[in-house]
Amino acid sequence: MIATPDVSWIAILPELVLALGAVAVLLVDVQWKPATRVLGVISAITLVVAISFTMLQWAQAGDALEFGGLGALVAFSGMVVMDGFAVFGRFVLLVMTGLGLLAGWKLIESLNRRGAEAIALVLLATTGFSIMVASNNLVMMFLGLEIGSISLYVLAGMTREKIKADEAAMKYFLLGSFASAIFVYGVALLYAGTGQLEILAIRQFFTEFFVTSPAVILIGLALIIVGLGFKVSAAPFHSWAPDVYQGAPAGVVGYMAAMAKIAGFLAIARVLLTGVPQLDANWLPVIAGLSALSMLVGSIIALVQNDVRRMLAYSGVAHAGFILTGIVGGATTGMLFYVSVYAIQLVGAFAVVAVVSGPGSSGSSIDEYRGLARRSPALGAAFAVLLLGMAGLPLTSGFIAKFGVFSEAWANGYGWLVIVALLASVIAFAFYLRVIVVMYMDETEEEAVLVSATTRWVLGIAVIGTVLAGILPAPLIDMAANAFPL
Amino acid sequence: MLTWLIALPVIAAVIVALVPKRLKELHLPLGIALSVLPLALAGYVFWIFEPVAGYQFRQQAVWYEPWGISWSLGIDGISMPMVLLTTILVPISLAASTSITRRTKEFVVYALLLEAGMIGVFLALDLFLFFVFFEAILIPMYFIIGIWGGERRIYAATKFFIFTAFGSALMLAGIIALAFTHAEQFGSASFALSDLMNLELATGAERWLFAAFALAFAIKVPLFPLHTWLPDAHTEAPTAGSVLLAGVLLKLGTYGLLRFNLSLFPQASVDAVWIMGTLAVIGIIYGAVVAIVQPDLKRLVAYSSVSHLGFIVLGTFALTSGSLQGAVIQNVNHGLTTGALFLLVGMIYERRHTKQISDFGGLQKVMPVFAGFFLFMVFASIGLPGLNGFVGEFLILIGSFTTLPALTIVAAIGVVLAAIYMLWAYERVFTGVPDKEENRVLSDLSIREISILAPLVVLVLVLGLYPKILLDKIAPSTEAVLDHIESQTEFVIPEPGRLGDVFVAGGDQE
Repeated sequence: MIATPDVSWIAILPELVLALGAVAVLLVDVQWKPATRVLGVISAITLVVAISFTMLQWAQAGDALEFGGLGALVAFSGMVVMDGFAVFGRFVLLVMTGLGLLAGWKLIESLNRRGAEAIALVLLATTGFSIMVASNNLVMMFLGLEIGSISLYVLAGMTREKIKADEAAMKYFLLGSFASAIFVYGVALLYAGTGQLEILAIRQFFTEFFVTSPAVILIGLALIIVGLGFKVSAAPFHSWAPDVYQGAPAGVVGYMAAMAKIAGFLAIARVLLTGVPQLDANWLPVIAGLSALSMLVGSIIALVQNDVRRMLAYSGVAHAGFILTGIVGGATTGMLFYVSVYAIQLVGAFAVVAVVSGPGSSGSSIDEYRGLARRSPALGAAFAVLLLGMAGLPLTSGFIAKFGVFSEAWANGYGWLVIVALLASVIAFAFYLRVIVVMYMDETEEEAVLVSATTRWVLGIAVIGTVLAGILPAPLIDMAANAFPL
Repeated sequence: MLTWLIALPVIAAVIVALVPKRLKELHLPLGIALSVLPLALAGYVFWIFEPVAGYQFRQQAVWYEPWGISWSLGIDGISMPMVLLTTILVPISLAASTSITRRTKEFVVYALLLEAGMIGVFLALDLFLFFVFFEAILIPMYFIIGIWGGERRIYAATKFFIFTAFGSALMLAGIIALAFTHAEQFGSASFALSDLMNLELATGAERWLFAAFALAFAIKVPLFPLHTWLPDAHTEAPTAGSVLLAGVLLKLGTYGLLRFNLSLFPQASVDAVWIMGTLAVIGIIYGAVVAIVQPDLKRLVAYSSVSHLGFIVLGTFALTSGSLQGAVIQNVNHGLTTGALFLLVGMIYERRHTKQISDFGGLQKVMPVFAGFFLFMVFASIGLPGLNGFVGEFLILIGSFTTLPALTIVAAIGVVLAAIYMLWAYERVFTGVPDKEENRVLSDLSIREISILAPLVVLVLVLGLYPKILLDKIAPSTEAVLDHIESQTEFVIPEPGRLGDVFVAGGDQE
């Protein structure tokens, strides 16, 4: 009789549920060939169960934080952690998955038999990214990253009869794998320098030892930053984003972008803030530089885009810069708040794109939005609110989010970065306004566009969330403040 | 009560928005009717407002404790006239918008939301809250210019938005810096104006912060050389937009300078008196000179705003009782007269579809009533004694002479120039024989148009003949600003410069 080791299953319950859900979707599809609707119900149940387990985890890890993080635990021999940070991130990922599936439902239905694959891939991607934000071991983090990324590569090429989508998927795959390789290389060098793969153990290592010549460690760290910087499309590692956002089927782009960003930023924060806070003199200037570069490059290049998707991609680069200012601030509260409100805006914005240009489309010229507010007032207003939210105007969540990360960076002595960030925000106003101008101030003879019920739900939630978190941000900030990493 | 002042326009906007589209004719009258409610409330506030220093009717509710932000409202002698002005101009400008037949509902909703935002800016005593309102008003104004404006409306709207947003971005940095300084000195972050006034700032830091705030407000005013957005925005905006822009939005800048720059950074303000005064005087002269040569009537009025607002900034930074009171009351005067001039230009544009001065001539014979109103407002604008413009300019000039004699003398030339550009424009448009065929058939003002202008005429006369009604309520608050500056710095206002020293305000005006 072999004794089974004592395992805290609770730490990975949501991921187990998600993986099982993905398998169930595929098996049911093969066996019974049901209507896509049935698969939707299965994935909905999966998500609801996973979210319930996440709440259970929050009750244990989040609550306990008030008592010094007693409820947080390290499980599976140091592979994963269940701290407020991971649970918060997982919660946001799951909510975005739900919204992403709703927003992409038209696309999934139009894929016919391949719809099941799309649903399964979405659930698997979430599994991967969810593991990634909860990993304490760098190899585990890599596994999560790859499970998630590979699912996204396939999703990007879901409409494979479209050459643009093929191109996007191929580009994403090649550059993404390259970035993953760089990340692993960084992990290897960090391991070579410290002898540790566990993030908590790496921090322990730096408290115990003073490294006189940390060159190998720093190179390793730099490579990790490059790898993750690619995933979150921070400049100068952003060049894939516009092509992929433009080419991939509209129904899934919002989901893809949101997932990669949430997981990527949480991973960066965990590695830097939990793993190597002692080296902050080395990495703070680097992150600050990346942040400034991303904000400026993103905002300025977005000005000249004539495709709304490319514009959103470059705005995503700028947002990557804004979120990095939170990490420069050395805190996670503002960053978590920012990531969650931005993710919901992103999913909402691409839901609009999917309605205007069609769920399986590639590209979305700004001309298609001409007079949208006249043709479909509700859709136009929703898009306007989301864009203003991204621009960070007061009374939207975007303003509170920017205010949060900028204050943190300011408090940490990076005043110049805050000023750059504020100027970049002003530049950014110009391109968000451009879309609003086209929607509201141009007349058109075109027909109204039909918005499906699922998309209406997504937009309703995204708009209400954006406004509510802008007026009454306290609950979400408090949650984010309780969700610090171990 | 003050919360209601902000909430009423919002509720009105929601009600208008809920009226279905097919009842098209109902939106504008309903909007006008509902916008009278905030006016009534503001009038009541004015009535029971005590002429003492400090904020009255204060309201405070914590918004988010850890950041030290709160929903904190209050009204004093500096903000009260502005609130009153806002609530007066909104119904008037809505009533003047019957020519807007396209998307009327949206227009009314944006105008009412704009009103809520503007009132909010004047009432906010928390810098975070202030900033929220300050930025939020950009959106409705942007739409008003961009949807209902003239040919180059999108260019003008975007320019307006980006200019203002640029200024406020740096101000936000300043606000964050102040809150953190408070956290360093007192242990907790705070955005309350009253808390931040007690900060000990290093000279260098104070100057930078002053500059950040001043830039934001100078763009709004607009102070030379940041004024280039203004003529475009004014020219392209619909009449109601121009009225609110000139009447209230520009005053956010002068109000901000007076309320925030002087109170938060007394030392830097004292040091910057010459810089700000010089820029103001350049603005006065430059605006006036450029106004003289404008071929477009609306642009002419827009440039006259640059000139008039220069007086207000000069008065603000001259730091005497008279100049500050003059600055506050001139805010109101300029809102009334320039608002009225934009209304008048709008009325002639509706008839003739041109604003070019050269297209007119001899209108006096065709439209005597219109000419009468126009001439009256021209006189108010150039400061004829007995009308409101005189009171404000006189107080500013006489008050500023004590501290900034040289600049004041130059500024006084602006008064002469104002007479030149205004009267010359009047001459070209109204006098002579109506030699153009189109001009001979123009109809004179309707009863509706007269009733829109009448309240403004009455107010111009009341403030011109009996300014005490307002000055008494303004004076304690402006004195408090000066007291604060004198207590925080070594600056002593030279005699005669304070209210006690015989010469200013009270004395002559009674």
